[in-house]
Amino acid sequence: MLRDITIGQYYPADSVLHRLDPRVKLIGTIVYIISLFVFHTWGYILGTVFLVSIILLSRVPFTFMVRGLKAIVILLIITMALNIFLTPGTYLFQWKFFHISREGVVIAVRMAIRLIYLIIGCSVMTLTTTPNKLTDGLEALGQPLKAVHVPVHEIAMMMSIALRFIPILLEETDKIMKAQTARGADFESGGMVQKVKAMVPLLVPLFVSAFRRAGDLAMAMEARCYHGGEGRTQMKPLRYESRDFIAYGVLAGYLAAAIILRAVFHW
Amino acid sequence: MSIIHAEKLGYDYVQYDEDEGKEPEIVHAVRDVDLKVERGQFIAILGHNGSGKSTLAKHINALLVPTEGTIYIDHMDTRDDDSLWKIRQEAGMVFQNPDNQIVASVVEEDVGFGPENLGVPTDEIWRRVDDSLAKTGMIAYRKHSPNKLSGGQKQRVAIAGVMAMKPKCIVLDEPTAMLDPNGRKEVIKAVRDLNQSEHVTVILITHYMEEVTDADRIFVMDAGELVMEGTPVEIFSQVEKLRKLRLDVPQVTELAYELKNSGVDLPDGILTTDELVHNLCEKEHPIADSRKLEDSLQEDTAKESENQAQPQQEDKTAESGEPGTMALEGKTAGNEEPLNMPREGKTAETGGQESLRLEHVSYVYSTGTAYEITALKDVSLEIPKGQFVGIIGHTGSGKSTLVQHFNGLIRPTSGHVYFNGRDIWEEGYPLRELRFHVGLVFQYPEYQLFETDVIKDVCFGPKNQGLSEEEQMERAREALRQVGIPEGLYEKSPFELSGGQKRRVAIAGVLAMNPDILVLDEPTAGLDPRGREEILSELDQLQKERGITVILVSHSMEDVAQHVDRIIAMNKGEVAFDGTPRQVFSHYKELETMGLAAPQMTYIMHALREHGLHVDVNASTLDEARRAVLQALKEKTA
Repeated sequence: MLRDITIGQYYPADSVLHRLDPRVKLIGTIVYIISLFVFHTWGYILGTVFLVSIILLSRVPFTFMVRGLKAIVILLIITMALNIFLTPGTYLFQWKFFHISREGVVIAVRMAIRLIYLIIGCSVMTLTTTPNKLTDGLEALGQPLKAVHVPVHEIAMMMSIALRFIPILLEETDKIMKAQTARGADFESGGMVQKVKAMVPLLVPLFVSAFRRAGDLAMAMEARCYHGGEGRTQMKPLRYESRDFIAYGVLAGYLAAAIILRAVFHW
Repeated sequence: MSIIHAEKLGYDYVQYDEDEGKEPEIVHAVRDVDLKVERGQFIAILGHNGSGKSTLAKHINALLVPTEGTIYIDHMDTRDDDSLWKIRQEAGMVFQNPDNQIVASVVEEDVGFGPENLGVPTDEIWRRVDDSLAKTGMIAYRKHSPNKLSGGQKQRVAIAGVMAMKPKCIVLDEPTAMLDPNGRKEVIKAVRDLNQSEHVTVILITHYMEEVTDADRIFVMDAGELVMEGTPVEIFSQVEKLRKLRLDVPQVTELAYELKNSGVDLPDGILTTDELVHNLCEKEHPIADSRKLEDSLQEDTAKESENQAQPQQEDKTAESGEPGTMALEGKTAGNEEPLNMPREGKTAETGGQESLRLEHVSYVYSTGTAYEITALKDVSLEIPKGQFVGIIGHTGSGKSTLVQHFNGLIRPTSGHVYFNGRDIWEEGYPLRELRFHVGLVFQYPEYQLFETDVIKDVCFGPKNQGLSEEEQMERAREALRQVGIPEGLYEKSPFELSGGQKRRVAIAGVLAMNPDILVLDEPTAGLDPRGREEILSELDQLQKERGITVILVSHSMEDVAQHVDRIIAMNKGEVAFDGTPRQVFSHYKELETMGLAAPQMTYIMHALREHGLHVDVNASTLDEARRAVLQALKEKTA
């Protein structure tokens, strides 16, 4: 199931969306999420049009976006069922104690649309932005939080280091697992308790190794004069281009349209 | 004007023993070190594992601050907090593990990490990154992910990262310990170039003596103290003393030393093949003491006849093949004995019983995707009982994939693996059982230790075999004894042991399963010279005592030449050569095209022969080489 989550997976391609500044994409994602909660009824047509045009612009195959949905299918079904069956109102259908209300169906459909669009929207962002740029963008946007003593730079640094070490640790897990298998360890058979017990020979070395790597890396970073975000310059600072301003304009227009649709037309 | 100046430098730390009631112990990791390094020098620091050289290195970068004495880096006291960042900028540091010192996910961004920390303006960072990548030859890889690079390339990225900070001095703490021979050469060349063209002071800590023969000065450490200091010639002349310090000398030096002891007229401290050739071939009377020479030759023959007469026979066949003509004949060389013949009579005793057989085994990674890689291509081989087999091949040649087929960790994409005549992938074959018969020790096996004490960890295998507790303990004790772990350590946590000890405990963990075949993937990687030799001779011992088959995967041609009966050379997933060390190394030119090489002795022998000394060019070990040279000298003077 882990593999199905598209979030955090980059799809290399050459598109306008790929070239956009990560800050624009992050803000864009937030704007889109807000719009999904502003829309009430027919407004979702606008939301759909926007999403489809973004997907077309991104040049990422549609199947990649949908992959992210697999992870939430069960959640989606359960919440839809609860809404359909438990919302009171005008009943469309009744059998023993089961009943389906008109209101329930409306709420369920709206919620499903919101959830699906939200996931796809986020996927578009992560599919078109490299993890590094994403952390850069988060760091830049998080600057105001520094005022309330949130260690923005440190969090961003931790995220990018985590991204670098995930493949290394995965490989290491595989190696340790093989090594213990070679000593007769059995990770597959047995009941729950046995399976958990069998993980000890895997997890202990993995933790030891992660700590050793962390220690080594901390020392290597210190040796290269790392001392937090203070007085640090950037090799690849984020710079807005004209296309980024255009994108901001489009986003502002979209958000305004969404609010007008809701406030004036009650869509 | 010295760039590094240490006065009475000392570093102590307190070690707390886990056992209650014990007084905490003060450990002197470094003591009383006086040291001066001049600008632009190439300095080497040698010392066995745990001799304090890494601790010393960390003082140069102010990662550690002395508890006694003082160390000045470019006139700055490392105790002074205000100059901390300046010191770290001027004295850059490269560490052993290439993975654990790269911060960013893109090569160029990692090189830019140091300058970013220093607050260098963006344009200047780019200039420095370009420049450093060019100097280390990594410019083509700037957009790559570090995870996709080889070990040598990763270390060059780390060096570029340090260079981008414009240091005056680079400290490299065993940068080559985890690399294969090609990676080692790559890194050393990069460092040497920087020293010569940029005049960066280099302090190289290493276990590989060959890397330091042209250093300006060598410091040798032992038990935290500086015990020797001098030029390479001065240091390497003292062979006995170095051996006592658990160190080696370069192979050429060792050969020269042995020859001198056998009565050949040679100066002390010969460091290069050229020097040796010059001294042996161009002198009128290379023999100083012909009696001594005669004696040592006779001693050899006596020893030999005790063993067996077979090696001499081989000498004759080898003699007939001229070095030059062998180059491109490959496997079909007509003057060769049939390949596959073990060197000594061991297998004959056991009747050449087959124990492991691979038939047309191929293995493809990630089949059906764009990343498809053929790791093994149609490999067929047989390993009879009791052999000591060496598998060589450069990184990525498929040797690790190959050994994982031996105990069924990997299922071949096509082909068959037989153990004692049965296909291990047939329906209902007890694979888990097989793993007890074919013990596999992975690379850096100490990283898989997990138990609370040593003996429990070793018991893990036997326990999985379903043995009774007494049997487990008995097996564990026996295995630990055979790898030379003293009983006092049995109850200790494996994490408290030294690197070499951990390694041996991990090997014991596999050995305790009483395997018929013991496969070891690079068991000596990262150890100091003595540690390497200890493990290898224990393997020799095991093979003789237990009569088990030992399969050794190694990068070190010297180790392989010294210990194994048979070599399988892998190249691009195929078996390139399979035969005795002498047969395989006679193809040294082809081995070179595969990113391998012959042992250094072979090269020395070839050089001698080119200069007119009629030696047996196929001598690959120190002993063989010494005998070959003595024999040739005797014939020459006769």
